[in-house]
Amino acid sequence: MKLLEYEAKHLLASANIQTPRSFIVDVNSLPSFLPVVLKSQVPIGGRGKAGGIAVVYTSEEYTLNTSRILSLDIKGFTPKQLLAEELINIERELYLSLLIDRRSASIILMAHTNGGVEIEENHVDDFLRCSLTDKNLLAAGEQLAEYFDLPEKSFVLQDLVKNLYACMIKNDATLLEINPLILTKDGEIVAGDCKMELDDAAAFRHPEWNFEDEAAEVNFVTLDNQGTVATIANGAGLAMATVDAVADAGLVPANFLDIGGGANESSVLAAFKRIMEYPNIDAIIINIFAGITRCDEIAKAIIAARTQINALPPLYIRLAGTNFEQAVELLTAEQITTLSTLESCIEAVKTKGKS
Amino acid sequence: MKSSLLTAQNVIIQGITGAHGAFHAQAMKNSGTGIVAGTSPNKAGQFIDTIPVYNSIKDIQKDFTVDISVIFVPPAFAKSAIIEAISAKIPLIVCITEGIPIHDMLQIKQHLEKGSSTLIGPNCPGVLIPGNNKLGIIPAHLSLPGSVGLVSRSGTLTYEAMDGLTRRNIGQRYIVGIGGDRIPGTSFIDTLALFESDPTVEQIVMIGEIGGTSEIEAADYIHQHVTKPVYAYVTGHHAPEGVQLGHAGAILGSADESAVAKTQYLAQCNVHTANSITQLVKMIPA
Repeated sequence: MKLLEYEAKHLLASANIQTPRSFIVDVNSLPSFLPVVLKSQVPIGGRGKAGGIAVVYTSEEYTLNTSRILSLDIKGFTPKQLLAEELINIERELYLSLLIDRRSASIILMAHTNGGVEIEENHVDDFLRCSLTDKNLLAAGEQLAEYFDLPEKSFVLQDLVKNLYACMIKNDATLLEINPLILTKDGEIVAGDCKMELDDAAAFRHPEWNFEDEAAEVNFVTLDNQGTVATIANGAGLAMATVDAVADAGLVPANFLDIGGGANESSVLAAFKRIMEYPNIDAIIINIFAGITRCDEIAKAIIAARTQINALPPLYIRLAGTNFEQAVELLTAEQITTLSTLESCIEAVKTKGKS
Repeated sequence: MKSSLLTAQNVIIQGITGAHGAFHAQAMKNSGTGIVAGTSPNKAGQFIDTIPVYNSIKDIQKDFTVDISVIFVPPAFAKSAIIEAISAKIPLIVCITEGIPIHDMLQIKQHLEKGSSTLIGPNCPGVLIPGNNKLGIIPAHLSLPGSVGLVSRSGTLTYEAMDGLTRRNIGQRYIVGIGGDRIPGTSFIDTLALFESDPTVEQIVMIGEIGGTSEIEAADYIHQHVTKPVYAYVTGHHAPEGVQLGHAGAILGSADESAVAKTQYLAQCNVHTANSITQLVKMIPA
């Protein structure tokens, strides 16, 4: 789950990491203070270049820019929130992030002396990288002070590393990026912007999570709104493979859908309803290879979809695996036939197109 | 990874009284796997089918030597279950559970480093040795004993490839699902090393996914160490690009993690590559 800046900064502040003084814009109220920098809250980078950030000094500028930014389209996202922050006298813009490295299965810290929007222009080998454990945080902070050439900030940076690490663990974060990390003219270290990603799998131990996750829903993805073949599959791998096979056959897949392990009748029925929103669908391929999922549950959903949804396009059904026999029994009773492979489904769709 | 690790006989199920655990314990037993017992906290004395339930692995070990544990415990308790198995020095742990938090996996990895266990998974369908062991949820009736070593990150595509091979009358020696999580217990490389060293394996099939660099590392390994023919498909050629948050990922992993890039890299490393699962199954010589 990708957090918006204001949500991420709230978590930083709770972990005793310094963030700019701020408020969330309420269009019906006067600003709490001025001047401020107005920052659109969107789950994507490049908002500054899209006009989503403005420095305002007067109430007139504030009102004008607030309504302008709130109606922007920033790479497909309209900001729902606007964060207003105090202006900061910047001495230096640094870069600092903590993330999980798959290869070493550890949390690593990355830093660069040249932070800001052009961070990726820096050579990858110039970044400071060190693996963090709960035992080397102070040493890492000291190393960071040396790398930033801020020996007088050694204690501050030790605290920062310690607090960031604690924030990452406590919130089950998989990414915590502060860019820029600002050294102010007054010698303070402040988080200028923050990108934070939390592990959805850990939601069960975070009843407090209540974020605006606009980028969510990875299980159902529209590939082509005008596509003619809709797909329903189980497991991300099989769902991608189904889309690959449809496209490879010269057909146009409309969507990717992984109904997941342990899918049941109601979740599959909901998927059918979403597919019906596409205008050009003339075939639905259902490709289920059940391990943990049970084919009979899918069969029940298919039967329910046939009775509940009007003008359902032809279904090309391939079921295999757990409880396959029970599923075939249910479907046969409703005169619904199945095919034995994905390939035969695709062939059937193509043949139908020609006839 | 040694073959004897996967073919060992005394198997237990952690989380045997849950719906998935009970269902698949029976399926495993029915296909001839030597299930001796299962665990479930506070349910000692019960039986699932004819399999006795114990409170803990320690209790089971008073009555049996345990070679393998297959875990069906829900994600919230999976970390403790895996650590329990590592502490009990069980040689092979196969974790089917999907949805274990990544920070839990970081801790599990540290325990694995200190201990002597091998972990396959989590978020995987497990291992199937046709005619021998079924350690997990791979549907055994669709397999056929033979000489293909199949390794896959994707559960359902494991079944798909196995089924396709069986339909073509091409048998399989090992089917190993290593799981799709960002931090897996066992990598492609561990499994490829087994396939290369085991004389009963003649052909290798590998199924990857978009994301991460494990297919690239596997390709390098194949190039340097594998002499047997390898056939690969990386799924997600037409997957939409994910929106990357921040810059850290791009800075850390400068390699291209798309299916197309990985497929090209595998091809450069003398791997026979396919663009779809049906093509993969067709290209393997009978």
